[in-house]
Amino acid sequence: MLKRALAIISLLIIGYWLAQGLAGVPFGQDRMLVGQYYLDHVKEQTGAVNAVTAVVVNYRGFDTLGEVTVLFIASTGVGALLWRKKRERTAKTEGSIVLTTGTRLLAPFIMLFGAYIFIHGHLTPGGGFPGGATIATAFLLLYMAFTVYEIPHKAFEKVEGAVGMSYVLVGLIGLAIGGYFLFDWIWQTWGWGHNNIGRLFSGGFIPVIYTVIGIKVGTELSGIVDNMLKEEVRE
Amino acid sequence: MNALTAIGEVLVLIGTFFYLLSALGLIRMPDVYNRMQTSTKSATLGSLGVMIGVGIWALGEDFGSVAWLTKTIVIALFLLLTNPVSAHALIRAAYKSGIPLWEGSVMDKYREYIESKTRAPESEEGETPEEGGEE
Repeated sequence: MLKRALAIISLLIIGYWLAQGLAGVPFGQDRMLVGQYYLDHVKEQTGAVNAVTAVVVNYRGFDTLGEVTVLFIASTGVGALLWRKKRERTAKTEGSIVLTTGTRLLAPFIMLFGAYIFIHGHLTPGGGFPGGATIATAFLLLYMAFTVYEIPHKAFEKVEGAVGMSYVLVGLIGLAIGGYFLFDWIWQTWGWGHNNIGRLFSGGFIPVIYTVIGIKVGTELSGIVDNMLKEEVRE
Repeated sequence: MNALTAIGEVLVLIGTFFYLLSALGLIRMPDVYNRMQTSTKSATLGSLGVMIGVGIWALGEDFGSVAWLTKTIVIALFLLLTNPVSAHALIRAAYKSGIPLWEGSVMDKYREYIESKTRAPESEEGETPEEGGEE
């Protein structure tokens, strides 16, 4: 009781302190310094209509590379923590026939929608991470509905590594023919897609990067799900 | 304000009314199964009304285009297909984890079915792996 009261009081104090700090920031006013630059120049500098993905992939590509690395480390960490010689799915109850049939029908559509999200990252909200998470959801659904389902590990791990490398490779090509790491060479150097801003074939290397990220995130989260759903088999 | 706008607005109104009924059913109904029954059905129907209504509403406005209607139809179809499946899975999981029916319920054919299927005395309710699944 005393512990809980102390926790509540300290949380209230911290909350009041943070609110005091934020009270000086007016809401709804134009306080953009760098943001205005992004909004003004995003179209001719990156070709993307979605300013968020342009910032995330183009202007601050290092952040995204770091996030992909974090996800990769999380996936590897889960794999390392749960590593056993012999692990199998020990699920016993098959999903009901409604669930299995529904999964059979829905999983391809969910994957299709995930691919739609990451391919259209420069046009619509979303991008690689939501798209990849959606694809992983389809695999999670398959895992939940079928007791025997298992992702093809060899292919998944290879694809994961290959797309991770190709992200760095795209950045290195920018370094080679442009100027710096993660330089948008498709847009800036080649000038490819300049006349169709707002269509699918525009946005420089944002669709390329996001396809890569989407596949990577999808395979990684599926791998984490796979690792966590398996149990050690006693001989 | 033309006919399409009016139709859309009416559909959205019907949809929100069904949302309200669904929320009311959640409070009003006595047990899990009845609550799922009311909330799933009317929430699905309400969502369909709201979504299709928004699509048709956007057709009538001057900023609108067909893109709104196609998107809302896709979302509505997805919801129409997924919502009953998820409700089914929830109800089934609730039954298997032993949540009792309302005390006013008069018959439980599913229990009888399970018990008739598993004549073995050690297996109790909810422990029948092959039942229901096709593989």
